[in-house]
Amino acid sequence: MSGTSRAEVDDASCIERSRRDPEVFAEVFRRHAADITRYVTRRLGEDAADDVVAETFLAAFRQRDGYDLSRPSARPWLYGIATNLMRRHVRTEVRQLRVVERTGADPVTASFAERSDERLSAEASRRRLAGALAALPKGHRDALLLVAWGGLSYAEAAEALGVRLGTVQSRINRARGRLRAELGGINPSATVSEESVCE
Amino acid sequence: MTRLERFRSEVPQPDPDRLRANEDRLLAAIAQDARRLGQDEEGRPRRFGQDEEGRPRRFGQDAEGRPRRFGQDAEGRPRRAPFRLPRPAQGAQGRARRTASRLRRFGLVTGLAAALAAGAVVVATRRADPPAVIRTMPAAASEVLTRAAQNATRTPELHPEPGQFLVYESRTMDPATGEDRDRRPMRYLSRAVRKVWLPVDGDATGGFIEEEVLEPKPWPGWPIPPEARENLGRHGPSKLADFDDRAEFLRNDYAYVSRLPTDPRKMYEHLYTQLGNTRQDDTDAWDRVRGLLTEAYLPAAQRAALFRAAAAIPGVVTVEHAVDAAGRAGIAAARVDPVLGQRQEYIFDRETYLYLGERSVVTDAARAGAPVGTVLTSSAQLSVSVADHGPSAAARD
Repeated sequence: MSGTSRAEVDDASCIERSRRDPEVFAEVFRRHAADITRYVTRRLGEDAADDVVAETFLAAFRQRDGYDLSRPSARPWLYGIATNLMRRHVRTEVRQLRVVERTGADPVTASFAERSDERLSAEASRRRLAGALAALPKGHRDALLLVAWGGLSYAEAAEALGVRLGTVQSRINRARGRLRAELGGINPSATVSEESVCE
Repeated sequence: MTRLERFRSEVPQPDPDRLRANEDRLLAAIAQDARRLGQDEEGRPRRFGQDEEGRPRRFGQDAEGRPRRFGQDAEGRPRRAPFRLPRPAQGAQGRARRTASRLRRFGLVTGLAAALAAGAVVVATRRADPPAVIRTMPAAASEVLTRAAQNATRTPELHPEPGQFLVYESRTMDPATGEDRDRRPMRYLSRAVRKVWLPVDGDATGGFIEEEVLEPKPWPGWPIPPEARENLGRHGPSKLADFDDRAEFLRNDYAYVSRLPTDPRKMYEHLYTQLGNTRQDDTDAWDRVRGLLTEAYLPAAQRAALFRAAAAIPGVVTVEHAVDAAGRAGIAAARVDPVLGQRQEYIFDRETYLYLGERSVVTDAARAGAPVGTVLTSSAQLSVSVADHGPSAAARD
Protein backbone atom coordinates (compact mmCIF):
# COMPACT_ATOMS: atom_id res chain seq x y z
CA MET A 1 0.00 0.00 0.00
CA SER A 2 1.15 3.52 -0.61
CA GLY A 3 1.57 6.09 2.10
CA THR A 4 3.60 5.81 5.23
CA SER A 5 2.38 6.42 8.74
CA ARG A 6 3.95 9.60 9.92
CA ALA A 7 2.96 10.47 13.44
CA GLU A 8 3.81 14.14 13.00
CA VAL A 9 1.15 14.52 10.31
CA ASP A 10 -2.25 14.84 11.96
CA ASP A 11 -5.51 13.38 10.67
CA ALA A 12 -6.69 16.75 9.42
CA SER A 13 -3.73 17.02 7.03
CA CYS A 14 -4.36 13.49 5.74
CA ILE A 15 -8.02 14.28 5.14
CA GLU A 16 -7.08 17.52 3.41
CA ARG A 17 -4.63 15.67 1.16
CA SER A 18 -7.22 12.97 0.47
CA ARG A 19 -9.50 15.60 -1.10
CA ARG A 20 -6.99 15.80 -3.93
CA ASP A 21 -5.60 12.30 -3.71
CA PRO A 22 -8.36 9.91 -2.60
CA GLU A 23 -6.02 7.00 -1.86
CA VAL A 24 -4.42 8.95 0.98
CA PHE A 25 -7.62 8.31 2.90
CA ALA A 26 -6.37 4.77 3.51
CA GLU A 27 -3.99 6.32 6.05
CA VAL A 28 -6.96 7.51 8.13
CA PHE A 29 -8.23 3.93 8.02
CA ARG A 30 -4.88 2.51 9.11
CA ARG A 31 -4.74 4.82 12.10
CA HIS A 32 -8.21 4.22 13.48
CA ALA A 33 -9.72 1.05 12.05
CA ALA A 34 -8.38 -1.35 14.69
CA ASP A 35 -9.80 0.61 17.65
CA ILE A 36 -13.12 1.28 15.98
CA THR A 37 -13.42 -2.34 14.87
CA ARG A 38 -12.85 -3.57 18.40
CA TYR A 39 -15.34 -1.05 19.80
CA VAL A 40 -18.08 -1.94 17.33
CA THR A 41 -17.35 -5.66 17.72
CA ARG A 42 -17.76 -5.32 21.47
CA ARG A 43 -21.18 -3.79 20.96
CA LEU A 44 -22.57 -5.78 18.03
CA GLY A 45 -20.41 -8.86 17.48
CA GLU A 46 -17.95 -9.68 14.73
CA ASP A 47 -20.24 -10.08 11.71
CA ALA A 48 -22.16 -6.84 12.02
CA ALA A 49 -18.96 -5.02 12.99
CA ASP A 50 -17.19 -5.72 9.70
CA ASP A 51 -20.04 -4.14 7.75
CA VAL A 52 -20.41 -1.18 10.09
CA VAL A 53 -16.67 -0.45 10.01
CA ALA A 54 -16.53 -0.71 6.22
CA GLU A 55 -19.54 1.61 5.93
CA THR A 56 -18.08 3.99 8.51
CA PHE A 57 -14.89 4.61 6.56
CA LEU A 58 -16.64 4.79 3.21
CA ALA A 59 -19.13 7.30 4.64
CA ALA A 60 -16.25 9.26 6.18
CA PHE A 61 -14.45 9.23 2.84
CA ARG A 62 -17.54 10.59 1.11
CA GLN A 63 -17.97 13.28 3.77
CA ARG A 64 -14.30 14.28 3.82
CA ASP A 65 -14.99 17.60 2.11
CA GLY A 66 -17.10 18.58 5.11
CA TYR A 67 -14.48 17.70 7.72
CA ASP A 68 -13.51 20.60 9.97
CA LEU A 69 -9.76 20.85 9.36
CA SER A 70 -9.26 22.77 12.60
CA ARG A 71 -9.76 19.45 14.45
CA PRO A 72 -6.44 17.61 14.31
CA SER A 73 -7.81 14.22 15.43
CA ALA A 74 -10.50 12.49 13.38
CA ARG A 75 -11.32 10.09 16.21
CA PRO A 76 -14.52 11.77 17.50
CA TRP A 77 -15.74 12.27 13.94
CA LEU A 78 -15.20 8.61 13.03
CA TYR A 79 -16.77 7.31 16.25
CA GLY A 80 -19.71 9.60 15.57
CA ILE A 81 -20.22 8.14 12.08
CA ALA A 82 -19.91 4.61 13.48
CA THR A 83 -22.45 5.44 16.20
CA ASN A 84 -24.93 6.70 13.62
CA LEU A 85 -24.47 3.58 11.52
CA MET A 86 -24.98 1.38 14.58
CA ARG A 87 -28.49 2.84 14.97
CA ARG A 88 -29.70 0.36 12.40
CA HIS A 89 -28.43 -2.45 14.61
CA VAL A 90 -30.04 -1.37 17.89
CA ARG A 91 -32.36 -4.34 17.91
CA THR A 92 -29.46 -6.72 17.35
CA GLU A 93 -27.50 -5.12 20.14
CA VAL A 94 -30.38 -5.22 22.61
CA ARG A 95 -31.30 -8.79 21.66
CA GLN A 96 -27.75 -9.97 22.29
CA LEU A 97 -27.57 -8.17 25.63
CA ARG A 98 -30.84 -9.85 26.61
CA VAL A 99 -29.33 -13.25 25.74
CA VAL A 100 -26.49 -12.55 28.15
CA GLU A 101 -29.01 -11.51 30.77
CA ARG A 102 -31.10 -14.66 30.35
CA THR A 103 -28.43 -17.29 29.82
CA GLY A 104 -25.09 -15.86 30.85
CA ALA A 105 -23.74 -16.89 27.42
CA ASP A 106 -22.69 -13.96 25.26
CA PRO A 107 -23.15 -14.27 21.48
CA VAL A 108 -20.79 -11.34 21.00
CA THR A 109 -17.85 -12.99 22.72
CA ALA A 110 -18.66 -16.57 21.70
CA SER A 111 -16.22 -16.42 18.79
CA PHE A 112 -13.46 -15.38 21.20
CA ALA A 113 -14.37 -18.18 23.58
CA GLU A 114 -10.79 -19.32 24.05
CA ARG A 115 -10.02 -15.92 25.53
CA SER A 116 -13.16 -15.46 27.57
CA ASP A 117 -13.27 -16.48 31.17
CA GLU A 118 -15.91 -19.05 32.08
CA ARG A 119 -16.27 -17.69 35.56
CA LEU A 120 -16.91 -14.21 34.22
CA SER A 121 -19.84 -15.29 32.10
CA ALA A 122 -21.37 -17.20 34.94
CA GLU A 123 -21.28 -14.15 37.15
CA ALA A 124 -24.77 -13.01 38.10
CA SER A 125 -23.73 -9.38 38.17
CA ARG A 126 -22.52 -9.65 34.56
CA ARG A 127 -25.93 -10.93 33.50
CA ARG A 128 -27.66 -8.10 35.33
CA LEU A 129 -25.24 -5.58 33.84
CA ALA A 130 -26.12 -6.78 30.34
CA GLY A 131 -29.82 -6.44 31.12
CA ALA A 132 -29.26 -2.95 32.46
CA LEU A 133 -27.30 -1.91 29.35
CA ALA A 134 -30.10 -3.28 27.17
CA ALA A 135 -32.65 -1.20 29.08
CA LEU A 136 -30.81 2.11 28.62
CA PRO A 137 -32.08 4.61 26.07
CA LYS A 138 -29.78 4.38 23.06
CA GLY A 139 -28.39 7.89 23.37
CA HIS A 140 -27.41 7.13 26.95
CA ARG A 141 -25.82 3.80 26.04
CA ASP A 142 -23.89 5.52 23.24
CA ALA A 143 -22.52 8.19 25.54
CA LEU A 144 -21.65 5.75 28.30
CA LEU A 145 -19.90 3.21 26.08
CA LEU A 146 -18.01 5.77 23.97
CA VAL A 147 -16.37 6.81 27.22
CA ALA A 148 -16.14 3.44 29.02
CA TRP A 149 -15.21 1.26 26.02
CA GLY A 150 -14.16 3.66 23.30
CA GLY A 151 -11.90 5.56 25.65
CA LEU A 152 -13.17 8.95 24.45
CA SER A 153 -13.13 11.92 26.78
CA TYR A 154 -16.47 13.55 27.64
CA ALA A 155 -15.59 16.36 25.23
CA GLU A 156 -14.78 13.90 22.41
CA ALA A 157 -17.98 11.96 23.09
CA ALA A 158 -19.94 15.21 22.86
CA GLU A 159 -18.28 15.93 19.53
CA ALA A 160 -18.94 12.39 18.27
CA LEU A 161 -22.60 12.52 19.24
CA GLY A 162 -23.08 16.08 18.08
CA VAL A 163 -24.44 17.19 21.46
CA ARG A 164 -23.26 19.67 24.07
CA LEU A 165 -20.78 18.62 26.72
CA GLY A 166 -23.40 19.13 29.43
CA THR A 167 -25.72 16.70 27.66
CA VAL A 168 -23.05 13.98 27.63
CA GLN A 169 -22.33 14.52 31.30
CA SER A 170 -25.97 14.25 32.29
CA ARG A 171 -26.55 11.21 30.02
CA ILE A 172 -23.60 9.36 31.46
CA ASN A 173 -24.53 10.22 35.03
CA ARG A 174 -28.08 9.02 34.52
CA ALA A 175 -26.89 5.87 32.75
CA ARG A 176 -24.52 5.04 35.60
CA GLY A 177 -27.36 5.61 38.05
CA ARG A 178 -29.61 3.22 36.15
CA LEU A 179 -26.92 0.55 36.07
CA ARG A 180 -26.26 0.95 39.78
CA ALA A 181 -29.95 0.49 40.53
CA GLU A 182 -30.20 -2.59 38.32
CA LEU A 183 -27.14 -4.13 39.87
CA GLY A 184 -28.76 -3.90 43.28
CA GLY A 185 -26.63 -1.10 44.55
CA ILE A 186 -23.35 -2.40 43.17
CA ASN A 187 -21.56 0.50 41.60
CA PRO A 188 -20.84 -0.63 38.03
CA SER A 189 -17.95 1.78 37.84
CA ALA A 190 -16.40 0.76 41.09
CA THR A 191 -13.16 -1.09 40.66
CA VAL A 192 -13.63 -4.81 41.03
CA SER A 193 -11.51 -6.35 43.75
CA GLU A 194 -8.43 -7.97 42.31
CA GLU A 195 -9.11 -11.54 43.43
CA SER A 196 -12.22 -11.81 41.29
CA VAL A 197 -10.38 -10.77 38.16
CA CYS A 198 -8.61 -13.53 36.35
CA GLU A 199 -6.24 -11.98 33.87
CA MET B 1 -10.96 -2.33 35.90
CA THR B 2 -14.58 -1.58 36.57
CA ARG B 3 -17.38 -4.06 35.91
CA LEU B 4 -18.53 -2.09 32.94
CA GLU B 5 -15.03 -1.84 31.48
CA ARG B 6 -14.49 -5.53 32.05
CA PHE B 7 -17.73 -6.55 30.32
CA ARG B 8 -16.71 -8.05 26.92
CA SER B 9 -13.15 -6.85 27.41
CA GLU B 10 -12.02 -10.23 26.05
CA VAL B 11 -12.93 -8.97 22.59
CA PRO B 12 -9.45 -8.59 21.06
CA GLN B 13 -8.07 -6.07 18.63
CA PRO B 14 -8.99 -7.29 15.13
CA ASP B 15 -6.38 -9.47 13.48
CA PRO B 16 -4.37 -7.92 10.64
CA ASP B 17 -6.01 -10.06 7.94
CA ARG B 18 -9.45 -8.83 8.88
CA LEU B 19 -8.24 -5.23 8.85
CA ARG B 20 -6.46 -5.64 5.54
CA ALA B 21 -9.58 -7.12 3.98
CA ASN B 22 -11.54 -4.09 5.12
CA GLU B 23 -8.83 -1.78 3.87
CA ASP B 24 -8.93 -3.51 0.47
CA ARG B 25 -12.69 -3.09 0.48
CA LEU B 26 -12.34 0.60 1.27
CA LEU B 27 -9.72 1.18 -1.41
CA ALA B 28 -11.86 -0.59 -3.97
CA ALA B 29 -14.84 1.56 -3.02
CA ILE B 30 -12.70 4.70 -3.10
CA ALA B 31 -11.39 3.86 -6.55
CA GLN B 32 -14.93 3.22 -7.74
CA ASP B 33 -16.20 6.38 -6.07
CA ALA B 34 -13.52 8.51 -7.64
CA ARG B 35 -14.64 7.34 -11.07
CA ARG B 36 -18.33 7.45 -10.29
CA LEU B 37 -18.28 10.81 -8.61
CA GLY B 38 -16.73 12.52 -11.53
CA GLN B 39 -13.04 12.34 -10.91
CA ASP B 40 -10.61 10.51 -13.07
CA GLU B 41 -7.71 8.54 -11.63
CA GLU B 42 -5.75 11.77 -11.15
CA GLY B 43 -8.60 13.28 -9.19
CA ARG B 44 -9.44 15.76 -11.96
CA PRO B 45 -13.11 16.58 -12.32
CA ARG B 46 -14.94 14.61 -14.94
CA ARG B 47 -18.50 14.96 -16.06
CA PHE B 48 -20.41 11.75 -15.69
CA GLY B 49 -20.50 9.81 -18.94
CA GLN B 50 -17.84 11.92 -20.57
CA ASP B 51 -14.21 11.28 -21.16
CA GLU B 52 -11.35 13.65 -20.39
CA GLU B 53 -12.06 15.65 -23.52
CA GLY B 54 -15.74 15.91 -22.73
CA ARG B 55 -16.74 13.42 -25.44
CA PRO B 56 -19.57 11.12 -24.52
CA ARG B 57 -18.29 7.84 -23.18
CA ARG B 58 -19.96 4.53 -23.57
CA PHE B 59 -19.93 2.19 -20.63
CA GLY B 60 -17.09 -0.30 -20.92
CA GLN B 61 -15.16 1.72 -23.48
CA ASP B 62 -11.89 3.49 -23.14
CA ALA B 63 -11.14 7.01 -24.26
CA GLU B 64 -10.71 5.89 -27.87
CA GLY B 65 -14.03 4.08 -27.82
CA ARG B 66 -12.37 0.65 -27.86
CA PRO B 67 -13.81 -1.89 -25.47
CA ARG B 68 -12.25 -1.16 -22.12
CA ARG B 69 -10.04 -4.00 -21.10
CA PHE B 70 -9.08 -5.08 -17.68
CA GLY B 71 -5.39 -5.30 -17.00
CA GLN B 72 -3.85 -3.75 -20.04
CA ASP B 73 -0.51 -2.13 -19.64
CA ALA B 74 0.65 0.90 -21.59
CA GLU B 75 1.49 -1.28 -24.58
CA GLY B 76 -1.99 -2.71 -24.53
CA ARG B 77 -0.87 -6.14 -23.42
CA PRO B 78 -3.79 -7.85 -21.65
CA ARG B 79 -4.94 -11.44 -20.66
CA ARG B 80 -7.19 -14.62 -19.99
CA ALA B 81 -7.38 -18.53 -20.08
CA PRO B 82 -9.06 -21.88 -20.93
CA PHE B 83 -12.17 -22.98 -19.12
CA ARG B 84 -11.19 -25.66 -16.71
CA LEU B 85 -12.47 -26.70 -13.36
CA PRO B 86 -10.84 -28.56 -10.53
CA ARG B 87 -9.48 -31.87 -11.71
CA PRO B 88 -10.90 -34.93 -10.02
CA ALA B 89 -9.10 -35.79 -6.82
CA GLN B 90 -7.43 -38.72 -8.57
CA GLY B 91 -6.63 -38.23 -12.23
CA ALA B 92 -7.81 -41.71 -13.15
CA GLN B 93 -11.27 -41.06 -11.77
CA GLY B 94 -11.96 -38.33 -14.24
CA ARG B 95 -13.42 -40.52 -16.89
CA ALA B 96 -16.91 -39.13 -16.90
CA ARG B 97 -18.30 -39.36 -20.36
CA ARG B 98 -21.22 -36.97 -20.54
CA THR B 99 -19.90 -34.74 -23.25
CA ALA B 100 -21.45 -32.37 -25.69
CA SER B 101 -21.10 -33.95 -29.10
CA ARG B 102 -19.93 -30.74 -30.71
CA LEU B 103 -17.09 -30.61 -28.23
CA ARG B 104 -16.16 -34.20 -28.75
CA ARG B 105 -13.25 -34.62 -31.08
CA PHE B 106 -12.13 -38.01 -32.34
CA GLY B 107 -12.77 -39.67 -29.04
CA LEU B 108 -11.03 -36.97 -27.05
CA VAL B 109 -12.73 -35.14 -24.30
CA THR B 110 -11.33 -31.66 -24.25
CA GLY B 111 -11.92 -28.20 -22.97
CA LEU B 112 -15.14 -27.33 -21.27
CA ALA B 113 -16.86 -30.68 -21.60
CA ALA B 114 -13.98 -32.46 -19.89
CA ALA B 115 -13.88 -29.75 -17.31
CA LEU B 116 -17.55 -30.00 -16.54
CA ALA B 117 -17.38 -33.76 -16.50
CA ALA B 118 -14.44 -33.59 -14.15
CA GLY B 119 -16.22 -31.07 -11.99
CA ALA B 120 -19.19 -33.37 -11.77
CA VAL B 121 -16.92 -36.19 -10.70
CA VAL B 122 -15.33 -34.05 -8.04
CA VAL B 123 -18.73 -33.47 -6.58
CA ALA B 124 -19.91 -37.02 -7.01
CA THR B 125 -16.92 -38.53 -5.25
CA ARG B 126 -17.01 -36.19 -2.25
CA ARG B 127 -18.58 -37.19 1.00
CA ALA B 128 -21.97 -35.55 1.35
CA ASP B 129 -21.24 -34.21 4.81
CA PRO B 130 -18.23 -31.96 5.20
CA PRO B 131 -15.43 -33.23 7.43
CA ALA B 132 -15.56 -32.18 11.04
CA VAL B 133 -12.27 -30.33 10.84
CA ILE B 134 -12.86 -26.77 9.79
CA ARG B 135 -9.93 -25.26 7.98
CA THR B 136 -8.85 -21.99 9.45
CA MET B 137 -6.61 -19.75 7.44
CA PRO B 138 -2.94 -19.69 8.46
CA ALA B 139 -0.72 -16.68 7.92
CA ALA B 140 -0.15 -15.89 4.27
CA ALA B 141 3.15 -17.23 2.96
CA SER B 142 3.15 -16.14 -0.65
CA GLU B 143 4.66 -12.75 -1.27
CA VAL B 144 3.55 -12.80 -4.92
CA LEU B 145 -0.12 -13.32 -4.05
CA THR B 146 0.03 -10.80 -1.22
CA ARG B 147 1.36 -8.22 -3.68
CA ALA B 148 -1.32 -9.19 -6.19
CA ALA B 149 -3.93 -8.60 -3.48
CA GLN B 150 -2.49 -5.19 -2.65
CA ASN B 151 -2.59 -4.21 -6.32
CA ALA B 152 -6.06 -5.61 -7.00
CA THR B 153 -7.72 -2.31 -6.24
CA ARG B 154 -5.40 -0.21 -8.36
CA THR B 155 -6.69 -1.04 -11.80
CA PRO B 156 -9.75 0.36 -13.55
CA GLU B 157 -12.64 -1.86 -12.70
CA LEU B 158 -15.21 -3.36 -15.06
CA HIS B 159 -18.82 -3.04 -13.98
CA PRO B 160 -20.75 -5.62 -15.97
CA GLU B 161 -24.52 -5.46 -15.56
CA PRO B 162 -27.08 -8.26 -15.61
CA GLY B 163 -27.93 -9.13 -19.20
CA GLN B 164 -24.46 -8.26 -20.46
CA PHE B 165 -21.61 -10.59 -21.31
CA LEU B 166 -18.03 -10.76 -20.12
CA VAL B 167 -15.78 -11.47 -23.07
CA TYR B 168 -12.50 -13.30 -22.46
CA GLU B 169 -9.77 -13.71 -25.05
CA SER B 170 -6.97 -16.14 -24.37
CA ARG B 171 -4.29 -18.32 -25.78
CA THR B 172 -4.17 -21.86 -24.48
CA MET B 173 -2.25 -25.10 -24.58
CA ASP B 174 -3.71 -28.26 -23.08
CA PRO B 175 -2.74 -31.93 -23.09
CA ALA B 176 -4.90 -34.03 -25.41
CA THR B 177 -4.84 -37.74 -24.69
CA GLY B 178 -7.01 -40.41 -26.20
CA GLU B 179 -7.12 -43.04 -28.91
CA ASP B 180 -6.65 -42.58 -32.61
CA ARG B 181 -8.93 -44.24 -35.20
CA ASP B 182 -6.97 -47.47 -34.92
CA ARG B 183 -7.56 -47.48 -31.18
CA ARG B 184 -3.92 -46.77 -30.46
CA PRO B 185 -3.14 -44.40 -27.62
CA MET B 186 -2.09 -40.92 -28.70
CA ARG B 187 -0.85 -37.86 -26.89
CA TYR B 188 -0.14 -34.34 -28.01
CA LEU B 189 -0.47 -30.75 -26.83
CA SER B 190 -3.46 -28.94 -28.32
CA ARG B 191 -3.14 -25.17 -28.84
CA ALA B 192 -5.77 -22.54 -29.54
CA VAL B 193 -6.74 -18.90 -29.38
CA ARG B 194 -10.13 -18.66 -27.69
CA LYS B 195 -12.74 -15.97 -27.41
CA VAL B 196 -15.50 -16.78 -24.98
CA TRP B 197 -18.66 -14.81 -24.16
CA LEU B 198 -20.09 -15.66 -20.75
CA PRO B 199 -23.34 -14.21 -19.42
CA VAL B 200 -22.94 -12.00 -16.36
CA ASP B 201 -25.50 -14.11 -14.59
CA GLY B 202 -26.09 -17.79 -15.21
CA ASP B 203 -24.04 -20.77 -16.23
CA ALA B 204 -21.84 -21.66 -19.17
CA THR B 205 -24.78 -22.96 -21.24
CA GLY B 206 -25.61 -19.32 -21.97
CA GLY B 207 -22.11 -18.70 -23.30
CA PHE B 208 -20.50 -18.70 -26.75
CA ILE B 209 -17.07 -19.61 -28.04
CA GLU B 210 -15.04 -18.65 -31.07
CA GLU B 211 -11.83 -20.58 -31.46
CA GLU B 212 -8.83 -20.71 -33.72
CA VAL B 213 -7.08 -24.05 -33.41
CA LEU B 214 -3.34 -23.60 -33.82
CA GLU B 215 -0.61 -26.01 -34.90
CA PRO B 216 -0.29 -28.65 -32.14
CA LYS B 217 2.90 -29.37 -30.25
CA PRO B 218 4.20 -32.87 -29.59
CA TRP B 219 4.03 -34.50 -26.21
CA PRO B 220 7.70 -35.29 -25.54
CA GLY B 221 8.48 -38.73 -27.00
CA TRP B 222 5.16 -39.09 -28.86
CA PRO B 223 4.43 -38.47 -32.56
CA ILE B 224 1.77 -35.90 -33.40
CA PRO B 225 -1.17 -37.95 -34.74
CA PRO B 226 -2.91 -36.80 -37.96
CA GLU B 227 -6.14 -36.28 -35.99
CA ALA B 228 -4.41 -33.46 -34.15
CA ARG B 229 -4.41 -31.30 -37.27
CA GLU B 230 -7.92 -32.08 -38.52
CA ASN B 231 -9.43 -29.12 -36.75
CA LEU B 232 -6.86 -26.44 -37.50
CA GLY B 233 -8.29 -23.00 -38.22
CA ARG B 234 -11.30 -20.99 -37.08
CA HIS B 235 -14.46 -22.39 -35.56
CA GLY B 236 -17.61 -20.74 -34.33
CA PRO B 237 -18.90 -18.69 -32.80
CA SER B 238 -20.99 -21.51 -31.37
CA LYS B 239 -22.74 -22.38 -28.14
CA LEU B 240 -20.16 -22.88 -25.41
CA ALA B 241 -21.71 -25.79 -23.55
CA ASP B 242 -24.80 -27.98 -23.61
CA PHE B 243 -24.75 -28.55 -19.89
CA ASP B 244 -23.14 -27.07 -16.83
CA ASP B 245 -23.76 -29.13 -13.76
CA ARG B 246 -21.08 -27.76 -11.51
CA ALA B 247 -21.82 -27.65 -7.81
CA GLU B 248 -23.00 -24.25 -6.62
CA PHE B 249 -19.71 -23.55 -4.80
CA LEU B 250 -17.73 -24.04 -8.02
CA ARG B 251 -19.69 -21.43 -9.96
CA ASN B 252 -17.63 -18.59 -11.39
CA ASP B 253 -20.15 -16.38 -13.19
CA TYR B 254 -19.96 -12.70 -12.27
CA ALA B 255 -23.29 -12.67 -10.44
CA TYR B 256 -22.05 -15.45 -8.16
CA VAL B 257 -18.47 -14.29 -7.63
CA SER B 258 -19.57 -10.75 -6.73
CA ARG B 259 -21.44 -12.29 -3.79
CA LEU B 260 -18.36 -14.17 -2.54
CA PRO B 261 -16.81 -12.96 0.73
CA THR B 262 -14.43 -10.02 0.79
CA ASP B 263 -12.87 -11.30 4.01
CA PRO B 264 -9.85 -13.49 3.16
CA ARG B 265 -10.65 -15.93 5.97
CA LYS B 266 -14.14 -16.49 4.64
CA MET B 267 -12.80 -16.75 1.08
CA TYR B 268 -10.36 -19.39 2.37
CA GLU B 269 -13.30 -21.30 3.81
CA HIS B 270 -15.06 -21.00 0.45
CA LEU B 271 -12.04 -22.50 -1.33
CA TYR B 272 -12.13 -25.43 1.12
CA THR B 273 -15.88 -26.07 0.82
CA GLN B 274 -16.41 -29.82 1.41
CA LEU B 275 -12.65 -30.33 1.63
CA GLY B 276 -10.69 -31.59 4.60
CA ASN B 277 -7.17 -31.45 5.90
CA THR B 278 -5.00 -33.58 3.67
CA ARG B 279 -2.42 -32.48 1.10
CA GLN B 280 -4.82 -33.60 -1.62
CA ASP B 281 -7.40 -31.20 -0.20
CA ASP B 282 -4.81 -28.41 -0.43
CA THR B 283 -4.22 -29.40 -4.05
CA ASP B 284 -7.94 -29.22 -4.76
CA ALA B 285 -8.20 -25.81 -3.09
CA TRP B 286 -5.29 -24.55 -5.20
CA ASP B 287 -7.08 -25.89 -8.27
CA ARG B 288 -10.23 -24.02 -7.32
CA VAL B 289 -8.25 -20.79 -7.35
CA ARG B 290 -7.75 -21.45 -11.05
CA GLY B 291 -11.51 -21.71 -11.51
CA LEU B 292 -11.80 -18.16 -10.20
CA LEU B 293 -8.91 -16.85 -12.34
CA THR B 294 -9.80 -18.55 -15.61
CA GLU B 295 -12.51 -17.01 -17.77
CA ALA B 296 -13.82 -15.41 -14.61
CA TYR B 297 -13.79 -11.81 -13.43
CA LEU B 298 -14.04 -10.92 -9.74
CA PRO B 299 -14.74 -7.44 -8.37
CA ALA B 300 -11.57 -5.97 -6.87
CA ALA B 301 -12.52 -6.63 -3.24
CA GLN B 302 -13.23 -10.31 -3.92
CA ARG B 303 -10.12 -10.58 -6.09
CA ALA B 304 -7.97 -9.21 -3.26
CA ALA B 305 -9.59 -11.66 -0.83
CA LEU B 306 -8.99 -14.54 -3.26
CA PHE B 307 -5.29 -13.72 -3.58
CA ARG B 308 -4.87 -13.38 0.20
CA ALA B 309 -6.71 -16.66 0.77
CA ALA B 310 -4.71 -18.45 -1.93
CA ALA B 311 -1.49 -17.11 -0.39
CA ALA B 312 -2.33 -19.05 2.78
CA ILE B 313 -2.86 -22.45 1.14
CA PRO B 314 -0.08 -24.73 2.48
CA GLY B 315 2.74 -25.49 0.09
CA VAL B 316 2.64 -22.36 -2.07
CA VAL B 317 6.05 -21.40 -3.44
CA THR B 318 7.36 -18.59 -5.63
CA VAL B 319 8.70 -19.23 -9.12
CA GLU B 320 10.90 -16.31 -10.09
CA HIS B 321 10.67 -16.79 -13.86
CA ALA B 322 7.54 -18.11 -15.49
CA VAL B 323 6.30 -17.54 -19.04
CA ASP B 324 2.66 -17.57 -20.11
CA ALA B 325 1.24 -18.96 -23.35
CA ALA B 326 1.73 -15.61 -25.07
CA GLY B 327 5.43 -15.56 -24.16
CA ARG B 328 5.05 -12.89 -21.50
CA ALA B 329 7.50 -13.37 -18.65
CA GLY B 330 6.37 -12.89 -15.08
CA ILE B 331 6.65 -14.15 -11.54
CA ALA B 332 4.46 -17.02 -10.35
CA ALA B 333 2.84 -18.37 -7.22
CA ALA B 334 2.91 -22.12 -7.56
CA ARG B 335 2.15 -25.39 -5.82
CA VAL B 336 3.36 -28.89 -6.60
CA ASP B 337 0.65 -31.49 -7.17
CA PRO B 338 2.46 -34.66 -6.04
CA VAL B 339 -0.20 -36.95 -7.57
CA LEU B 340 0.11 -35.52 -11.07
CA GLY B 341 3.83 -34.80 -10.66
CA GLN B 342 3.30 -31.26 -11.90
CA ARG B 343 3.77 -27.77 -10.50
CA GLN B 344 0.72 -25.60 -11.05
CA GLU B 345 1.76 -21.96 -11.54
CA TYR B 346 -0.32 -18.78 -11.56
CA ILE B 347 1.72 -16.11 -13.33
CA PHE B 348 1.65 -12.38 -12.54
CA ASP B 349 3.24 -9.35 -14.16
CA ARG B 350 6.42 -8.51 -12.29
CA GLU B 351 5.62 -4.78 -12.17
CA THR B 352 1.87 -4.49 -11.85
CA TYR B 353 1.11 -7.90 -10.32
CA LEU B 354 -1.78 -8.31 -12.74
CA TYR B 355 -2.69 -11.90 -13.54
CA LEU B 356 -1.17 -13.01 -16.86
CA GLY B 357 -2.02 -16.70 -17.08
CA GLU B 358 -1.06 -20.10 -15.79
CA ARG B 359 1.03 -23.10 -16.66
CA SER B 360 1.85 -26.55 -15.33
CA VAL B 361 5.42 -27.82 -15.32
CA VAL B 362 6.46 -31.44 -14.83
CA THR B 363 8.22 -32.09 -11.51
CA ASP B 364 7.97 -35.90 -11.43
CA ALA B 365 8.67 -37.55 -14.80
CA ALA B 366 7.27 -40.96 -13.84
CA ARG B 367 3.93 -39.60 -12.64
CA ALA B 368 3.49 -37.04 -15.40
CA GLY B 369 4.76 -39.23 -18.23
CA ALA B 370 7.02 -36.48 -19.53
CA PRO B 371 10.51 -35.22 -18.69
CA VAL B 372 10.97 -32.91 -15.72
CA GLY B 373 10.57 -29.31 -16.83
CA THR B 374 8.09 -30.03 -19.65
CA VAL B 375 5.31 -27.44 -19.85
CA LEU B 376 2.10 -29.43 -20.38
CA THR B 377 -0.56 -26.79 -19.75
CA SER B 378 -0.24 -23.12 -20.48
CA SER B 379 -2.53 -20.16 -20.94
CA ALA B 380 -2.43 -16.40 -21.37
CA GLN B 381 -5.34 -14.19 -20.52
CA LEU B 382 -5.22 -11.62 -23.31
CA SER B 383 -8.22 -9.49 -22.48
CA VAL B 384 -11.40 -9.22 -20.49
CA SER B 385 -14.11 -6.83 -21.66
CA VAL B 386 -17.82 -6.22 -21.33
CA ALA B 387 -20.28 -6.60 -24.22
CA ASP B 388 -24.00 -5.92 -24.45
CA HIS B 389 -24.55 -8.94 -26.70
CA GLY B 390 -23.04 -12.28 -27.54
CA PRO B 391 -21.74 -12.84 -31.08
CA SER B 392 -24.41 -12.08 -33.68
CA ALA B 393 -26.83 -14.92 -34.38
CA ALA B 394 -25.89 -14.88 -38.06
CA ALA B 395 -22.29 -15.68 -37.21
CA ARG B 396 -23.13 -18.66 -35.03
CA ASP B 397 -22.94 -22.29 -36.10
